[in-house]
Amino acid sequence: MSKELSHNKVRRYGMVIDLDKCTGCGACMVACMAENNVPFKEDESNKRDSITWMKVYKLTNGKPFPNTEICYLPRPCQHCEGHDGHSPCVSVCPATATDYNSETGIVSQIYTRCFGCRYCMAACPYHARYFNWWDPVWPDGMEKYLSPNVSPRMRGVVEKCSFCFHRYQLAKDKAYYEGRSEVREDEYQTACTQACPAGAITFGDLNNPLHAVHQMVKPDLKHAGRPKSPNAFRLLERLGTNPKVYYLSDREWVRRAGDNYMADTKNHLEPKEH
Amino acid sequence: MKVDRRKFLSFVVGGAAGTALSPLPWKLVDDSSIWSQNWPWTPVPEDGEVSYEPTTCSLCPGGCGIIVRKIKDRVVKIEGIKGHPVNDGGICILGLAGLQLLYGPTRVKTPLKREGARGSGKWRKISWADAISEVAGQLNSLRSSDKADTIGCIGGSDRGVTPNLLKRLTSACGSNNFFRTPSMQDSYETALQLMHGKKAMAGFDFENADFILSFGSGILDGWGSPVRMFKANSNWKTNKTPVIQIEPRLSNTAAKADQWLPVNPGTEADLAFSLINIIIEKGLYDSNFVNNYSLGFADLKQLVKDKYKPAKIAQATGLKSSDIEKLALKFADARRPLAICGSGQGHTPGSLKTFVAVHALNALTGRVNSKGGVWAVEEPDYIKWPEVQKDKPAVKGLAQARIDGAKSKYPLSQYLLNQLPDAVNSESKASLQALLIADANPFYTMPDNKAAQEAFNKIPFIVSFSSYMDETATNADLILPNHIYLERFEDIPTATGFAGPFIGLSRPIVKPQFNTQALGDSLISIVRTMGGTVAASFPWADYKTCLVQTLGSKWPALSKKGYWVDSRFMVPGWTEGFKTASQKFNFSNKDLMMVYNSRPIIPEGSDSFPLLLLPYDSIRLANGYIGDPPFVIKTVADTVLKGKKSFVEINPITAKKYKLKQGSTAILSTPKGQAQVKVHLFEGLMPGLIAMPRGLGHTAYDNYLAGKGINFNELIGTQADPVSGQDAAWGIKAKIARA
Amino acid sequence: MSSLDEKDNAVPADSNAQASLPNDTSKDKMDEKENETSGFIIFFFIIGLVASLIAGWVIFPKLLYSKKDQPINFNHLLHMAEVDDGCQSCHFLRTDGSFSGIPGLKQCIGCHDEIQGESKDEAIFVEEYVQKGREVPWLIYSRQQDCVFFSHAAHIKGDGMDCVTCHGHIGESEQTRVYEENRITGLSRDIWGKSISGFNANSWERMKMNDCAKCHKEAIGKASSVQTGKEGCFVCHK
Repeated sequence: MSKELSHNKVRRYGMVIDLDKCTGCGACMVACMAENNVPFKEDESNKRDSITWMKVYKLTNGKPFPNTEICYLPRPCQHCEGHDGHSPCVSVCPATATDYNSETGIVSQIYTRCFGCRYCMAACPYHARYFNWWDPVWPDGMEKYLSPNVSPRMRGVVEKCSFCFHRYQLAKDKAYYEGRSEVREDEYQTACTQACPAGAITFGDLNNPLHAVHQMVKPDLKHAGRPKSPNAFRLLERLGTNPKVYYLSDREWVRRAGDNYMADTKNHLEPKEH
Repeated sequence: MKVDRRKFLSFVVGGAAGTALSPLPWKLVDDSSIWSQNWPWTPVPEDGEVSYEPTTCSLCPGGCGIIVRKIKDRVVKIEGIKGHPVNDGGICILGLAGLQLLYGPTRVKTPLKREGARGSGKWRKISWADAISEVAGQLNSLRSSDKADTIGCIGGSDRGVTPNLLKRLTSACGSNNFFRTPSMQDSYETALQLMHGKKAMAGFDFENADFILSFGSGILDGWGSPVRMFKANSNWKTNKTPVIQIEPRLSNTAAKADQWLPVNPGTEADLAFSLINIIIEKGLYDSNFVNNYSLGFADLKQLVKDKYKPAKIAQATGLKSSDIEKLALKFADARRPLAICGSGQGHTPGSLKTFVAVHALNALTGRVNSKGGVWAVEEPDYIKWPEVQKDKPAVKGLAQARIDGAKSKYPLSQYLLNQLPDAVNSESKASLQALLIADANPFYTMPDNKAAQEAFNKIPFIVSFSSYMDETATNADLILPNHIYLERFEDIPTATGFAGPFIGLSRPIVKPQFNTQALGDSLISIVRTMGGTVAASFPWADYKTCLVQTLGSKWPALSKKGYWVDSRFMVPGWTEGFKTASQKFNFSNKDLMMVYNSRPIIPEGSDSFPLLLLPYDSIRLANGYIGDPPFVIKTVADTVLKGKKSFVEINPITAKKYKLKQGSTAILSTPKGQAQVKVHLFEGLMPGLIAMPRGLGHTAYDNYLAGKGINFNELIGTQADPVSGQDAAWGIKAKIARA
Repeated sequence: MSSLDEKDNAVPADSNAQASLPNDTSKDKMDEKENETSGFIIFFFIIGLVASLIAGWVIFPKLLYSKKDQPINFNHLLHMAEVDDGCQSCHFLRTDGSFSGIPGLKQCIGCHDEIQGESKDEAIFVEEYVQKGREVPWLIYSRQQDCVFFSHAAHIKGDGMDCVTCHGHIGESEQTRVYEENRITGLSRDIWGKSISGFNANSWERMKMNDCAKCHKEAIGKASSVQTGKEGCFVCHK
């Protein structure tokens, strides 16, 4: 494949999370924190200021004992494409600190560019963005485990899941070294995908029919990537954010919970166009 | 010439124009913005060559293969090894946070000797030589005053080279009082001893089973080898293997199971016997196995027929008798059903009756020693050390019975740490004079915690070998810190529940960060200093030599690959798989009948405690020897822990009765103590129960963990199983009121 | 200006003018003085201008950068003559595609386990570093700040660029240059460039984001960033 061709090729990296396999163990959360130099404080029980790029939510069907059911829902940044890359956060950022990359489909966040206005946090319907209210502090000696591939953040900036973009950068380096122009599916996997002991997370290029993610959800590109697979859904589909994280569940109440506004999942209502 | 205002202004204007035409302002703006993006106190991780080194995680007995990512000599990430027989690339939440233990503030950085009262946190740094000679001196003086049997040791395990060195040190000194941290392994071992005639661990062939019946086992909450269980569960989902979870609380396991059967707590054994009864009555058992490869079937048949009629059990368990029957039929109809027990993470041994009942259920359907079933996995027999050498004090000491009643009052049990507090507290003079503790944190993990602490405080000399400043180290007289698992060699024989003989090898993948020493080396130095027969019982120059020699022919493969699996191992089968006197499986014998007929464990407490308090385990709350590192405690939900307060779960119906709302502060009391808690309304808990997480309420470790929530062990007592003597308490009566 | 002057004159407190001169003659004298003063005003303007230009162009750079010598004076030219593979003999891509950067002791020991020649610098290197097993704390001229991800593999292998384009003719140097560190940012002067004006005659003289963007916008012509119409931020940032 020629270099030009590879440059022009549009990838849309995305994730499929099988909620029937997810056990809510939280390994993805810690894998993410360890991979991305996410800071921690003595008290992290105020979840509004607790930075968790990947956060596992607990959903219940609201029925009384013994008909109660629980489902866990891991929520990374959804890397919304919106229309033509105008994802909710990107369109409001006054500092060009967050951006949609149409080559990979990844919503980037450049910490040194961010000046902390938090418009993006207000705009994000998934609460996937976190603000550094404090400077990160690692106990003496613990800064030794920090990874050089992800820049530690400072007080006053917003941060979020990057789909472990640095892993893509490293995989590309290796590909360049070996004279390849393409990164293989298994070469670029996020830390949460790799760690998940239940194998509930799948990651890859949604545009590539050979990639597992594509085969699992069959995104309908004519309809803003809406999944064709019957058990697949996206969070708040109707907002038209066009996210690249898909969820699978064979339980209807779970699929319904994925969109608060969804009256009927069976008929697969047309997502509202903005 | 005078400089007037006009000239000055003109100078200023000229200066301003010049400045604007010079790079100064523009460069300063640029530089200060760069400066503001890179505060000097924000660390900049150093880059360098990346390397990957494989090892085995030993934070739990799961035996997962891990690979660490290093930048020069810094370890920056822990990941699972793809293709490893236990975890195949997966890794659990605790294993991922291991680097926070390695580099964290909880490490004991050098040998410490207590100054001031126990637990006061006042320590003096001492040299290794002094620390070793202090321990050796104390042990020698006990031996020379004929009190060798008052030396006790608590280890996290009794498998592998290091635990056996500790055990050997105990016997070489002349004491039988080596204790192992209790767990469901104790009960499984006893059950296998009685039914298979083997001293072994239970190995489960989950990957080949096609129907899973779990009597309260937290398959997805940290039971067994956690990552393997997660993987197995995902395979069951793919293969449509039904999983049925029996427990009164909608745990993560129950939530992911195909069917959740909430039974009244403590009735698991009844349900198992009732299933046996139905299967026998309907003639659905494996008659080939029962007739040709087992003994004592008739007695069991009679027993279940008499005592476990469905109607009666329906009432006891709270299930419909038709549901019990359906369950029995489903189990018997499945091609390879498998029943397991050991509640939650299996950190308490539990009632032996449940274990033998569940094992008998497996046997009845031919699921022992066959594919997709359960069998006895003997420890790889590489530890073939000669008998210890005994001098007079040793001979005398070894003639004394263990103080916990194991092997004497309770002949079926090897270790009964739960009986230790009573044994120590009931005597006026301490029956233990010295206690060495390694890879265990009994000050935190032991139920009836107050009594346990009281007992420990009566023991005049306590040595901790902990790598971390845990509760036990905090209350010790001397700490000889061990390297942590990423800094030392260690063999990990047989991952919990693994279906075949297996040895994993932990190896140093990073230089020791502090002035610590491998436990094996500390023990060898201690005996060396003690001299005499004790020293002579340890013919190794150092720990590494001992390890390499002991592993012998297995060492090269182990050190190359990181693990060893017995490639010749085959499913034991029925013909030669049992080592009982008859070479057959025992459905019953004298001991088993005693277990079958033993009284049920009724929770402690009078009628003034109308509710039942149960513990629950979460994979996000490490509750054994290791406490939660910062990342892991960070993931705990705010309905479990908020600030310093922990929550108990209560069904809204029960809560209403006691006028409790979501988030109410309440006083929870049990016969063992009381605590202020917050209330979380949870529909998934059976009414009448209160559920409380294990793993909180630490008083030691770092500020990220200490002082958060309540330690469940302070509220529960112990209840000895009538036959095994192991702790079988599964709950305690309780009351709750608004604070 | 003039209205201001008149106002000035009208102020009775202007003691010099009023005390010594009668009112009618004062006007001429004043004009004379005016010319003289405006001459001085320009003079002062020029003084101010020149002084600040000197301060900005000459003194400021001197104050802004601190100078540090490399721990050892390294002779690139000499080494280039000894090795077979040019720059890549010592500064190579590792097999995972990452760039090795400045060689560590491990590589140098290959030749320098003992003193080879008569250079004083080599003697220091062997005695102070090799024998003591200490890494040399080289000062890196081209080190970017932490938020930058730079892929040597992409530029060398992917785009076939040579070392000189960004690093200049360092391979022909016989002396190590003085390392100048920006006192505010802590970065090397080479990032902004030797010229304080930010003007660069050669491609290697400056490595600010705009310099990267120049190629990333023009040469490659990719516009994957929705916000900027240039190449995406995550290409060079981490």
